[in-house]
Amino acid sequence: MLRLHGIIGRADDKAYARQLHTLEHRGGIELLFVPPQDAGRKRFRLTTDRGTDCAVSLDRDEELVDGALLHLDSGRAIIARFGEQQIWRLRARDAASALKLGWHAGNLHWRVRFEGEDLVVLLDTPLESYRARILPLIESGEVVERDHV
Amino acid sequence: MSRLALTRIDQPMTAARVGIGGPVGSGKTALVERLIPALQARGIDIAVITNDLVTAEDAERVRRSGLIDPARVSAVEAGACPHTVIREDPTLNIEAADELERRFPGVELILLESGGDNLASTFSRDLTDFWMFVIDVAGGDDIPRKRGPGVIRADLLVINKVDLAPHVGVDLARMQREATDVRGGRPVLLTNCRRGEGIDAIVDLLEREVLFRT
Repeated sequence: MLRLHGIIGRADDKAYARQLHTLEHRGGIELLFVPPQDAGRKRFRLTTDRGTDCAVSLDRDEELVDGALLHLDSGRAIIARFGEQQIWRLRARDAASALKLGWHAGNLHWRVRFEGEDLVVLLDTPLESYRARILPLIESGEVVERDHV
Repeated sequence: MSRLALTRIDQPMTAARVGIGGPVGSGKTALVERLIPALQARGIDIAVITNDLVTAEDAERVRRSGLIDPARVSAVEAGACPHTVIREDPTLNIEAADELERRFPGVELILLESGGDNLASTFSRDLTDFWMFVIDVAGGDDIPRKRGPGVIRADLLVINKVDLAPHVGVDLARMQREATDVRGGRPVLLTNCRRGEGIDAIVDLLEREVLFRT
């Protein structure tokens, strides 16, 4: 287990560019993939793409970001990478349908953002579990699924 | 290339914050009462925060238990649906945890018990580093299949009162299998809090996942 505490900097900081470039040529860059739903954690235990078991803690006022540099020494750098956030893009047929969709999204405590006329749901679990909750709205045509990536 | 590793590991960690949620009567307070001595037996310095709707009933129960210094037990009165103070605005609980850390600088782990809620109850990551959701066999073996956010998203699902399974017609093996399936293989542990069964496995998990002892 490698204990890591706090964020040293960002992998794209100019201050670390030369060191990271050198390590890259030596195969010394390790990526720690953090699932999107876990990005807000202050403590977690994950394994890097090279198999290093990392026990990571952050200060309460620190926020993990994509590209956070968590460890750097002469032989190895460990960089946090966020997995791709899965989203589900929905559009309501009319105002009445939008009200229903908004009610469901709030009632189900979905994480959402608004993009123009679309409601974008940030998925924490497989899409099927979300779709099942508003299936009648989809089947009736009141809500149209525009995208899922 | 610097010869020195860049790391801030010498800084002391703040206390791990571990949430316990679940429906009314599933055994959250009983679990807290079992976890306290189990954690203490492993030399872990702990404190407790309980959440109730409009009273300090659970806090008083834990304080009177004799298991822990009563000063190490804080009460938060939600005054509304319990999930509002563990997810939507966890400020009261964050302040209570900060205050416990100030008063007891060596504390390593704070248990935060939510008020009893429904299957949609979840903890904010701003509040807890790890949270578990407690259900019980007497609540029905169909609970995992209902895929409530609490069941699905918790870091650990605890199925309590396993001793009651034969008396309430529950196929415990199937319930555990279905729970594991809906959670994509993430941890599901069985307990009988009345007899203290299954508690060590929870402490093992906490030692590994948030205390980094193993």
